[in-house]
Amino acid sequence: MDRECVSLLPRVCEVLAASGSSLPDDTSLEKLLDWFTEVTKAGTSLLESCPCLLEFISSVVHNTTLDPSILSFTLRLSGLVAVTEDAFTVLQQSSVLDLVFNLQHWQEAGLWEDPCIRIGWIQGLRTMMQHPKALGFFVQADFLKPLLQLQTDKSLFVASAANQMLAHVLLSCQSVSSVESNGVDEEGEDVGRSSGSIADLEYPAITVETNQDYAAVVTAISECLKKSLVPRKNSQLHQSLQILKLLALLLAQTRAPLWEKLLQMVADSVYELLAAGYSQLVLPLMDVILAAHSCDANRRVTDQRVSRLLSFMLNIRKPADLIQAAAAFLRRGRHDLVHTAQSARVLLLPLDIITGLNLLTTTADEQQFSMVEQLKNKTSCISMICVCLTNTPQITLTAADCLPCPPVLIVTAVLSLLRLCSGDFSSSSSSSSSCRDVSRNIIGSSKVQKCALEALIALSGSPGVEVKLPEVVTLLVQYLDNPHSDPTVLHKSYQALVRWMSVCSDLSSITDQHRQDLLQVATKRSCDIRWEVRDSTVEFLGRLAGVSVVQTTAEEVSDASVALLGGCCFTTPLLRAALQDPESYVRASAISALAQTLAASWQQGAALTQEHTEIVNQLLEVLSRDTEGFARRAVVRYFIAWLSSRSSHSSPPPLASSSLLMPSVRSVLSRGSADLDWEVKVHTLELAELLLHEAFSGQRGYMKGNPTQTHPYAVIPDTLHTRTHNEEDVVGELNSLVQWGVVSALLSGLVDCDRPVALRACRLLMTLREVVCPLSLGALDATAAMAMVAKVTCELPGCGWAREIRKMLATKAKDAERGCSVGEVVDCDDCGEAGQEAASGGGQTPCVSVCEVLRSLDLDERLDVLTRSSDHVHNSPFSLLQDILTASSAHSQPDTQQEVIVDCY
Amino acid sequence: MKLYCLSGHPTLPCNVLKFKSTTIMLDCGLDTTSVLNFLPLPLVHSPRLSKLPGWVSKDGTINLEKELKDCAGRVFVDSQPEFCLPERELLDLSTIDVILISNYHCMMALPYITEHTGFTGTVYATEPTLQIGRLLMEEVVNFMERVPKAQSATCWKNKEIQRMLPGPLKDAVDVWTWKRCYSMQEVNSALSKVQLVGYSQKVELFGAVQVSPLSSGYSLGSSNWIIQSHHEKVSYVSGSSLLTTHPQPMDQSSLKNSDVLILTGLTQMPTANPDGMLGEFCSNLAMTIRAGGNVLVPCYSSGVIYDLLECLYQFIESASLGTTPFYFISPVANSSLEFSQIFAEWLCHNKQTKVYLPEPPFPHAELIQTNKLKHYPSIHGDFSSEFRQPCVVFTGHPSLRFGDVVHFMELWGKSSLNTIIFTEPDFSYLDALAPYQPLAMKCVYCPIDTRLNFHQVSKLLKEVQPLHVVCPEQYTQPPLTQSHRSDLMLELQPPPMPYRRCSVLNLPFRRRYERVYILPELANSLVPSEIKPGVSVATVSAVVHSKDNKHTLQSVPKPPPVAPSKKRKRVMDEPPVVMTPKPLLSGAVPLEAFLATLQKHGITEVKVEETADGHILHLQAEDTLIQLEEDGTHIVCDNNEPLRTTLRDLVLRFLQKL
Repeated sequence: MDRECVSLLPRVCEVLAASGSSLPDDTSLEKLLDWFTEVTKAGTSLLESCPCLLEFISSVVHNTTLDPSILSFTLRLSGLVAVTEDAFTVLQQSSVLDLVFNLQHWQEAGLWEDPCIRIGWIQGLRTMMQHPKALGFFVQADFLKPLLQLQTDKSLFVASAANQMLAHVLLSCQSVSSVESNGVDEEGEDVGRSSGSIADLEYPAITVETNQDYAAVVTAISECLKKSLVPRKNSQLHQSLQILKLLALLLAQTRAPLWEKLLQMVADSVYELLAAGYSQLVLPLMDVILAAHSCDANRRVTDQRVSRLLSFMLNIRKPADLIQAAAAFLRRGRHDLVHTAQSARVLLLPLDIITGLNLLTTTADEQQFSMVEQLKNKTSCISMICVCLTNTPQITLTAADCLPCPPVLIVTAVLSLLRLCSGDFSSSSSSSSSCRDVSRNIIGSSKVQKCALEALIALSGSPGVEVKLPEVVTLLVQYLDNPHSDPTVLHKSYQALVRWMSVCSDLSSITDQHRQDLLQVATKRSCDIRWEVRDSTVEFLGRLAGVSVVQTTAEEVSDASVALLGGCCFTTPLLRAALQDPESYVRASAISALAQTLAASWQQGAALTQEHTEIVNQLLEVLSRDTEGFARRAVVRYFIAWLSSRSSHSSPPPLASSSLLMPSVRSVLSRGSADLDWEVKVHTLELAELLLHEAFSGQRGYMKGNPTQTHPYAVIPDTLHTRTHNEEDVVGELNSLVQWGVVSALLSGLVDCDRPVALRACRLLMTLREVVCPLSLGALDATAAMAMVAKVTCELPGCGWAREIRKMLATKAKDAERGCSVGEVVDCDDCGEAGQEAASGGGQTPCVSVCEVLRSLDLDERLDVLTRSSDHVHNSPFSLLQDILTASSAHSQPDTQQEVIVDCY
Repeated sequence: MKLYCLSGHPTLPCNVLKFKSTTIMLDCGLDTTSVLNFLPLPLVHSPRLSKLPGWVSKDGTINLEKELKDCAGRVFVDSQPEFCLPERELLDLSTIDVILISNYHCMMALPYITEHTGFTGTVYATEPTLQIGRLLMEEVVNFMERVPKAQSATCWKNKEIQRMLPGPLKDAVDVWTWKRCYSMQEVNSALSKVQLVGYSQKVELFGAVQVSPLSSGYSLGSSNWIIQSHHEKVSYVSGSSLLTTHPQPMDQSSLKNSDVLILTGLTQMPTANPDGMLGEFCSNLAMTIRAGGNVLVPCYSSGVIYDLLECLYQFIESASLGTTPFYFISPVANSSLEFSQIFAEWLCHNKQTKVYLPEPPFPHAELIQTNKLKHYPSIHGDFSSEFRQPCVVFTGHPSLRFGDVVHFMELWGKSSLNTIIFTEPDFSYLDALAPYQPLAMKCVYCPIDTRLNFHQVSKLLKEVQPLHVVCPEQYTQPPLTQSHRSDLMLELQPPPMPYRRCSVLNLPFRRRYERVYILPELANSLVPSEIKPGVSVATVSAVVHSKDNKHTLQSVPKPPPVAPSKKRKRVMDEPPVVMTPKPLLSGAVPLEAFLATLQKHGITEVKVEETADGHILHLQAEDTLIQLEEDGTHIVCDNNEPLRTTLRDLVLRFLQKL
């Protein structure tokens, strides 16, 4: 713990114990408690490091006139202090603990009515209950009864905390008992005999009596659960809900024999609750049953009771509830085959009814009838269908023998459903009028369309569905062409198309008609009146270029854009037109899509075209002119993509491409680093990093990424040393970095007012420093070669960021001079000169040595400052304590209060 | 109450309502789809159309080379296009008292009704309806008169011959009633009979009924009508829209509590949502222009075009179409664009508020100012010198049979770069294009129909709850092409009454009450007596005076003083003999008490039989029947007058007298 804080704490305690009303704000106590919790978690004993707390607690507990919030704080603090057994003992011996958690004490003072006292009491106890002694204390003081009463507290927060507390008590009892029984008998049969062995373990306090006490606690809690599970009237549903949550938690965490006991106690009540058929409780009930079931699954033999409950759930009468239950069951995954198959059937039933496809060979007439009736209601029809669709992928994941029909048929059903949604009844095989009544509910419902398209996306990977590709493409193109498709539906259709293309890499089944239709629809949608649609279209064009497919039987591999749309000759003009879009999102997407489309030609090192030059000019124009950040960010990312694809390319880059790339990169660096948007600047630095990497990867001292993140003793892989340390290389590379503007970009980033930019620039500069002039080498002129490196200079113009850098250099130089005068050895003559020169050289753009700058800028110190968050001073515990003290002094001297407020202001 | 249905077209209705001695015509829409059977009227000589082969039946027996031409595999009538008129034989049109017009599309048959039929009544319409209706009529007349055609084809209409004709001509109905377009003089004469009304203005018709127009939200000045008497209310809903386009929103609440609601003019495109279509229109337009092609939009000169221009106004920038010229060509283009700006009170709230700012309500004014939109009366003149391509042309007529559009079809049809975008829902686009086939030009169909769809109308009817709904039979079943779509029809309880052309419906409600006024002095003389708590009754003797369908009870005139001279006495002058009226009876005869009374009077052998309305007492000894019913008592007693009188008096004992 911070020494400064410890020294302030006694005074803070005094203030708090004296009066709580003078706190700076109502979160101070919470913050204080957070800090204490943090300290405790770090392994420090609160009582040892701050003995004043004991005094504080005992004085506060006696003073019931204090503000309830202080009292509540004290209750919680006491629990936190007593979290270790030693501290607990100290508190108990000083008889503080008995008073703190004495209910009667608070009731007599009339404070128990205040919910914050009640919640403080519960949370204090809850925090404390980490060791058997605390548990013993809990049992002996007979806190269980009030705790059970608090289950139905009128404050929801109190009730919920009490609920959590009960679970905690029960689990603590279990862990103590299991520790106790571990030594003797796994089944815990002979409790009496086991007590002997407990003495040998860490729990000497546990005796036969306490053990019986625990058993009594467990029984009392389970009795309570059982009793309050079934609501007496509808208004008590909330309570049942709480209990169900608790039960789910317990059944998932407890082990035998407690698990057995719990289940034994509540099974009947759960059954009763099921039979009552409360729709609101379906999901919580399912959680309970599934918690029991998954526990069960570990034990190989399924518990009859759980199985019975589950079967009951999967046969509920109300169709909507039934679907909820089945969906909940499937979502959990990995279960017994019988119930999985049943759930799958339940979820497929609505699809079977609407589409008229025989997904299920047999269905109980009664179930079918009630489902049809429910589906005739528009609202519930849509929500039920959506639940079913959302879970269809889950169905196909189940074992083949559980599936009532092959995945292909499910895909067919989803396709048929999508057709019905757009009002196309021609393919519907259902002819009964009731089915027609049901299907008309989903016409034009974009909610169903979205769910169905999502299902279609997820189903793309199922075995054997590739045969559906032509049908899927036809339907998706129809959806894309439909003037009434919602923008989100169009977006999903595009996603589905890309997804199916990437999964079914064999496109031989795609006809020319498909291609032509898609081509037309993409052109049309790129002119859509809604920008979201234009954006999705442009994005789609880019995505498609990233999917590689086998187009013909000749195993010719190309990207899907080429296979479907004919590639660049179609997409590039559309994307270039989109660069003029009035919506910045569309422009940004168009730029990314262009990068994806051209990626292939970059990788293949294709020769530069006139069109490519035009695009680059257009993009540079966007970077310098565009009013929105998105588009400018995308431009920088475009060049990052280009540059990295070039560097990943194995053969040397063709001259033509490079001749365009490098000058453009230079412009991007200078424009990007002068941008107003911090993300553009961060991306620009990423581009600079790429260039650094390209120049120095393999050089000694070069470490990709954050140099401070590597451990000082970490073994540097050999590959990094493959290139020998060659100063001439370094000089050459450094020169080109300066020429491309990398160094300027980094320096301007360093003094940027946006922290992420400055941080990144600082790290990169440090990387650069490690390569060209590591501090470890000492003097700059250590070697002749180093001298050459030191001669590499860069320009520092007289304005903006450069002025900042020059100021920093000048300050450093002055410090150095002063340092020299007191006799410190700083070999930095040139640096001083350069700094002064830089600082004084107003109008011209003087050059400074890169190495000098790198070494003089105190990068390490700067990194340290930048890594801390901007509110680190404000948020420290020390400042918190100070605030409390200041506020109290202001409070005690009312005339100065005004001043403080003004100050804060 | 009767409804005569003179048109079977659901969106171009023409119905006559006979209600309380008035005869009211509701709209007079003109079915112009008949023109699709005719050859287009080219503005400029078209070698293609002039060289078409004449039609001769396969066996050569019928030769109609002069009248019918074979064009693109179909047969067309080579004559001035003709329209299918509302039925004129179903009732005497001269008896029509008033014509109520709901919107400018539904008045195009007006000259046929008001001229040469003996019509002497009044036509009621709102000002924009009249003005824009006049423009549309003027436009059609202009289109026709510009390209006069000497001959008029009539032979093909011969029933025997028509039966032998191919394709759609064979199935055309009532071809004999088809008429050529009216003249401008007839239009002027017809429109001179129009009396202007404002929304919610109440117009008395002969004191019998009151009619008043309500905003229907479909077009400028479009209205639904309420026709009501003191005790009955009929609503006429025609071409209404709930979308927020340019006109004033629809007034729904005034339609509540109707006895009968006549529902016409629902959307012709129930599956095409106007927003989607507008989007489709814009993207296809932009796509064509970007590819260097021209866009042709065949449209009416008023209505949806305002919304199209407004939408384009916003879209032009985003699609970078700023430099593309937009042309609007119509003989009435200028008036249409200008009129729309001055009908401020008929516009939606949003546009109304703009009137108070220094900017016009519709943005097309700005398009004109900035030279992005140019309008011309015809392709001749200025237009030909300023015409630049690629461009967008809005021009009529949407049937593609007459108007400037015919020229553009001939000009642009051969290039696949160009696109024609249909936005008007009135014509099947395939039929419209038939005489231009084969066509390389791209064709896009995005009909924009803002009128109520089935979903909206069922919601509306749920809200206004009319007792009975009358509608065209087309609305009572799903469209033929989509027989599965049970959502595309009206489902009501009780089911709506369907009508078709020439139907005469007896509207299912009886008039039960009539309002009669009573003069104060007469009222003063009444002596009410209470027959049951809260209900008092008085007898009145008076003279009913009926004038202008208003009925007044006046005191019976006193006999005039005896004339001093008896020389000129006439029978006519004899005052009517005033008889003291017999007292009126009320109440019911209680069976048990009556039987007891009979017994007292010695009638003991009574057989009582229960009937649906009461009882029959058979006095067996006297061979007499007494029928006691709720609203009458009959004593059947032959040849025993004393007994009858006794029985009568016994019955009267139990009844109250007034």
